[in-house]
Amino acid sequence: MKILIALFFFLNIVYASDATIEVIKKADSLPSIAVEDASISYNDTFKLQFFKSLVADLNVISLFNVDRHYRYTDYSNSSVLIANKNMNYILRYRMNEDDNGALNVKIKLFDHNQEVFTKKYRVSKKNIYMFISHAIAFDINEFMGAPSVAWMKRKVIFSRVIAPRKSEIIIADYTLSYQYKVIKGGFNIFPKWANSSQSAFYYSSFEGDKPMLKYVDIKAGKIKNIIASDGMIVCSDVSRDGKTLLLTMGLDGQADIYSYNTETKKTKRITFYKGIDVNGQFLGNDKIVFISSRLGYPNVFSKKLSTNDVEQMVYYGKSNSACSVHGEYIVYKARESSHAFTKNTFNLHLISTKTDFIRRLTAIGVNEFPRFSKDGDAIIFIKNYQGQSAIGIIRLHHNKNYLFPLKNGRIQSMDW
Amino acid sequence: MKSIVLSSVVTALLVFSGCSTKEPAVDTRDTKHVQKNEAPATQEVQAVSTETVSSEDSMVQDSETSVDNGKMSIADIEAKLPSVYFDFDKYNIKQSMQERVDNVAQVGKSVAKNLNLKLEGNCDEWGSDEYNFALGLKRANAVKKVLVSDGIDASRISMISYGESNPVCTEKTKECWAKNRRVDFKVLP
Repeated sequence: MKILIALFFFLNIVYASDATIEVIKKADSLPSIAVEDASISYNDTFKLQFFKSLVADLNVISLFNVDRHYRYTDYSNSSVLIANKNMNYILRYRMNEDDNGALNVKIKLFDHNQEVFTKKYRVSKKNIYMFISHAIAFDINEFMGAPSVAWMKRKVIFSRVIAPRKSEIIIADYTLSYQYKVIKGGFNIFPKWANSSQSAFYYSSFEGDKPMLKYVDIKAGKIKNIIASDGMIVCSDVSRDGKTLLLTMGLDGQADIYSYNTETKKTKRITFYKGIDVNGQFLGNDKIVFISSRLGYPNVFSKKLSTNDVEQMVYYGKSNSACSVHGEYIVYKARESSHAFTKNTFNLHLISTKTDFIRRLTAIGVNEFPRFSKDGDAIIFIKNYQGQSAIGIIRLHHNKNYLFPLKNGRIQSMDW
Repeated sequence: MKSIVLSSVVTALLVFSGCSTKEPAVDTRDTKHVQKNEAPATQEVQAVSTETVSSEDSMVQDSETSVDNGKMSIADIEAKLPSVYFDFDKYNIKQSMQERVDNVAQVGKSVAKNLNLKLEGNCDEWGSDEYNFALGLKRANAVKKVLVSDGIDASRISMISYGESNPVCTEKTKECWAKNRRVDFKVLP
């Protein structure tokens, strides 16, 4: 018995911070928070829109039980509304439009009846209100001393096919509620952020004789050609320092993974299998994870850059055709059923390169395009279920998934 | 054919980072139509403004190009080259499609002998982004290998993959998905 107890504690210590272990938190144990609107500008529709966005963001930070009742009050009231008197926290905000048409927001956070945090925000137009909402949630999270949710402020870049061989590349906030078409017209796909500051991106253009990888410097407003390839070219990953790209190129009709040095402009072939090797992702400094058909179906493998030894990473799933890597963790998309066409379920799974555990992250529908946040705290993905599309955020350490409705056409590729 | 519109990139920067003071300088070598926004470096965000340029005109011109050595136009030759279809997640040429590919080789050696062939690989929607593009390419390459073994010079053949982004059928049915797992032929001067 003592041995069993000792083993239990040992395993607890070993796996305490393992993201493949599910953390079950009862909702009741979280502190409650209510949101009070004290806006003096804008119509009811917009007020409610902002309220909903803020409630959604507060939910995503996973620190509170968020009350969803919309209530209005005066910003200068020294006490919280009676209806909210039993809440642990109250977030009160006031929106007002200034003479320049800018949206100004002031917030106060009450711990019971005591004001504990206040801040002001401003954006030039009300249609980008969601960035203030994200910033408020980020600041509340910081105030509460929780691990950073800086990914809330990062942008998502994605391509959307609008007609056969016609696409758009769009930059959006993490909920995709604000969307900005940065490239429109033609067939341009597979956008990939070029650096951690998101000031530039790569994409594949199918406009010329051969597919061409292009680079867009958003600040300078410049596009330049990087490298062309027969058949196909995709930038699958960018090293932390931005100097090395992992490309999938189709030279001689053969899809393989290459590294490309952005300074020397030299390419080096990394995989040599006669089937399909795609989707290379850096795993530390000396390894890559990629998708290969070498078992007769797509699955996840790893390979050291210095040798030709290939290791199978995933032993579950009938067709695992996409993955994203962060540190020791790999999230991959797996087809759960063997039917070619009838009501297939595609779920996301998380594995660690250091343990044998598999954690299923989604339960129903077609879940695809998994992408880790830069810090590995969250995973973004697209869920299609019963004719509805949604963008999902998985908080790995909180065991919670959040879905935001998506009205777009079909997303072709996405990076975060 | 180039028709990218890089729309208001400076506006994008202002929206998403809000801290640029650099005057935009757009390299027009790669873009035919670029809209610049001369916005000052304030938090003011201009409304999104874009322009779409159709690429249809030049495509029409292509299909009307006539062939020097014969009576057939390129469009007439392409009409003699029906698509080659594939099984789910496969890129081998099916027995039932072999004759079709051999027929393409015959056309390539006769009425299209002075022209080039472009093979366009396509997939259904059931794969994943990059994998589907690679699968489309392998399908095009499988067709190319047969054409070369049938006597077509490899230098006359180019390949491209469109993954699942070029469907001919968008219904959610078996038959429809089967139509999208294909290699199309284009004839180039």
